[in-house]
Amino acid sequence: MNKILAIAKKELKTYFSSPIAYIVLIITISIFNIFFFMIIDQNREATLRDVFKAMEFLFIFIIPLLTMKVFAEEKFTGTMEFLMTTPTSNTAIVLGKYLGSLIFFTLIVVLTLSYYFVIEFFGQPDRLAIFVGYAGLWLEGALFIAIGMLASSLTKNQIIAAMSSYVTLFLLYFSRSFIKYFSGIAETLIRYIGTWSHAENFFNGLITTADLVYYLSGIIICIILTRVSIENRLWR
Amino acid sequence: MIISKNVTKYFGGFQVLKDISFEIGKGEIVGFLGQNGAGKTTLMRILTSYLPATSGSVIVADNDVNKNSLAIRRKIGYLPETPPLYSDMTTLDYLRFAAQLKDVPPKRQHVQIDKVLAECNLKDVQNKIIATLSKGYKQRVGIAQAIINDPEVLILDEPTSGLDPVQIIQVRNLIKSLEYKRTVILSTHILTEIQQIAQRVLIIKSGEIIIDETLENLLRDAGSDLEDVFLKLHSVKAEELL
Repeated sequence: MNKILAIAKKELKTYFSSPIAYIVLIITISIFNIFFFMIIDQNREATLRDVFKAMEFLFIFIIPLLTMKVFAEEKFTGTMEFLMTTPTSNTAIVLGKYLGSLIFFTLIVVLTLSYYFVIEFFGQPDRLAIFVGYAGLWLEGALFIAIGMLASSLTKNQIIAAMSSYVTLFLLYFSRSFIKYFSGIAETLIRYIGTWSHAENFFNGLITTADLVYYLSGIIICIILTRVSIENRLWR
Repeated sequence: MIISKNVTKYFGGFQVLKDISFEIGKGEIVGFLGQNGAGKTTLMRILTSYLPATSGSVIVADNDVNKNSLAIRRKIGYLPETPPLYSDMTTLDYLRFAAQLKDVPPKRQHVQIDKVLAECNLKDVQNKIIATLSKGYKQRVGIAQAIINDPEVLILDEPTSGLDPVQIIQVRNLIKSLEYKRTVILSTHILTEIQQIAQRVLIIKSGEIIIDETLENLLRDAGSDLEDVFLKLHSVKAEELL
């Protein structure tokens, strides 16, 4: 556990030691703020449902930027050889890296909690629905980070890692657009794999076991595959 | 301390190591000598359990590399050819991170870090960002992380490669000062380095050990310096091939 925390701490320090973290934070929060005020101004409702949808969409662009260097940079600079010749299990390495990225992402989500206080000040929002919406948003981001980390573990090139994350996240997010071309099992499968139906339930204040299983199993599968990927010594 | 039996390694269809067998005892200082591409780095990576051998077995400190990799990694210190440094960290933060990952008990970490900073002469740069350090300092930081857990076996892959003459002497002196009580393996293609540091030489050519001899015996039998031995060995082989 100590090693997982040590790696997570190092990851966080790495984020904040480069201007990229601050740029990502400032740009992300600025864009979220613009969307928040546009949506609230148009809807005139004390709900964050549509704000969550906008944020979910923007995560597709932001999260690959956060995760692209997680393993790709270590492989490129040779520090992966250091990590993997210390007495640290591959599971601890993967969990430490995941935790570091997840904490950074959580910071972004926490910074948007101000939206709740704004609508609380001006209206009477359904607090539970907003809390559930935030939980869904966080789970969605946690899944995206796991996918991005997996992509980063498969290559030494950060650009390739980011592009493959984008493609995967786009396919998951926009699966609703091409679901009409499928039928039967394929349609059911795409409906289940796509993120939109699961996130939407949370944004409407609804927690279902199926959605929780979807996110948690997705995260666990990606973490296991990342472990397999760094364990696979063919690339070394 | 280290036993390698019939180790072979293939990358795809290309054989990098051919039937490598040797034993290294406790406290020995052994130099792997060979041209670039001879297979030295691959052999070292197998000894550290970073790479698996295609066939054969390797025992390091009574543990099989394939079965008990974590136990081996607790007992070795390894400096890869390119020092594995996080350039955005300070020397101190990096060594603290290395100590945490290498199971140095939390209460001893401070003492241990102080010790390696002194041993590697890094006190002056302990708060500097690694990216701003000279190549010689970076190499010393790399050696410092390798010895932070007081390893029984120290494996150094081309520790003086790319350094200027003054830095080479500094790093060489540092390695000499670390020899006490440890088994040290270092690879190089610089012959004088072996002559000055090692007690025993394994000359590797095209993935095969062609000489495994103490430095004293080798020089006595050849009646000349190591450079002559090395050149002779390679030219003889070349003639045989012709």
